[in-house]
Amino acid sequence: MPQQQAGPRAPDRALVARLAVGDERALGELYDRHGTMAYSLALAVVRERADAEEVVADAFGQVWRNAASYDPGRGSVAGWLATITRSRALDLVRARGRRVRAIERAAQADNDGLAAPMGAAFDPPDRRIERGEARRLVARSLGELPEPQRRVIELAYFGGLSQTEIAAELHEPLGTVKTRIRAGLEKLRGSLAPLLSGGES
Amino acid sequence: MTDHEWSELAAPYTLGALAPDERERFEAHLADCAACRAEVRALRDVAVLLADAAPAATPPPGLRDRVLREARQARPIRRARGPLVPWLAAAACIVIALGLGYGYVRERAASRQTSAALAAARDSIAARDSLVATLLSPDIGTAALAATGQAPAARLYWSPSRRRVVMAVFRLPPAPAGRTYQLWAIAQGKPVSLGVFNTAADGRVTAAMAVPPGLTFELSAVTEEPAGGSPQPTQQPFLVGKVTPAD
Repeated sequence: MPQQQAGPRAPDRALVARLAVGDERALGELYDRHGTMAYSLALAVVRERADAEEVVADAFGQVWRNAASYDPGRGSVAGWLATITRSRALDLVRARGRRVRAIERAAQADNDGLAAPMGAAFDPPDRRIERGEARRLVARSLGELPEPQRRVIELAYFGGLSQTEIAAELHEPLGTVKTRIRAGLEKLRGSLAPLLSGGES
Repeated sequence: MTDHEWSELAAPYTLGALAPDERERFEAHLADCAACRAEVRALRDVAVLLADAAPAATPPPGLRDRVLREARQARPIRRARGPLVPWLAAAACIVIALGLGYGYVRERAASRQTSAALAAARDSIAARDSLVATLLSPDIGTAALAATGQAPAARLYWSPSRRRVVMAVFRLPPAPAGRTYQLWAIAQGKPVSLGVFNTAADGRVTAAMAVPPGLTFELSAVTEEPAGGSPQPTQQPFLVGKVTPAD
């Protein structure tokens, strides 16, 4: 659930309610708020700009078509969009049989990998205030994990690999991979607690 | 598996790192284990935050227009009333979606029809996600439906806030040709249909159904009815259960 913004604007949920009745302007506003998050996530998974654009267009299309069934109990609108975007991105990578390449590059990125806190510098100024802090905390928390734990979580989340596939990829025993995934996610649960407790718009 | 071994699957499950058969078994287990559901709820929120760890990238200027243009070609879907896709049918849709995905990618200028079919398949996956999400609601209430004789059994999960039930049925042979099973909510002694369902060859099904607005009920029951279901039960229920609010 990427964080949403405080402020005087209509909450995301109000935008989704407008989407559900076919209000295109609400879709534009939703894109303005979360398009950068969706594009960044898509690019981290598919690694090609043209593909990332296709994924984002697909993901917003799915949000548009399914806005009426959005369920606030399942989490924030941004989190819903992120889940859909990641899923579309992984579909595309799998369909292209390009997963292996993506993994290789993720492995190359390794040390300065996905967790590098590039954060706010590339965001437009308004987003920097709204999302910058949450982004930095997430990036820092992931970056502070022991490298082997961070690696398996990135391969699962951004690479879409199963535990078995990760074990094969890293030439590690399956049990080791399972332990790292659990330990890593548990640590993140602790360090991201400030982002997990609060209610949202 | 022991309870402990099951709970160890929560982390890889929320990261999408279980193999498909493992995932299915774990989701079936979730239908029966409040502790694992709570664990998944908590870790799921952590996993979703990982989206924010993606290196920030600036979308190209034309992307906003493309998003709006493609949306214009598809109308929003109104919320489905009545029973949703049963679990197994939804699983089949995932296969279809992947198959179509290949075609979709190979021919970029694919016909609008293909895109629409693909979109529909994806929406089915969303329906399946919604089924799991209902199971994970904090306000979930349950009813164990026991057979009056032996064999079949069902568990019903009811989330009043979402107005949805999810039912997991075990050991119930598929209804004969031309017949169907129907789930009833009994409110003040009066049965209200929640929808029809059938089981797979292995005697199991997990299905999500909508609960009409404002309806609260204390009992639920299953009858066998003519295909398409009946406005009122035509026979005595063979499964009956009392609803117990919240875990």
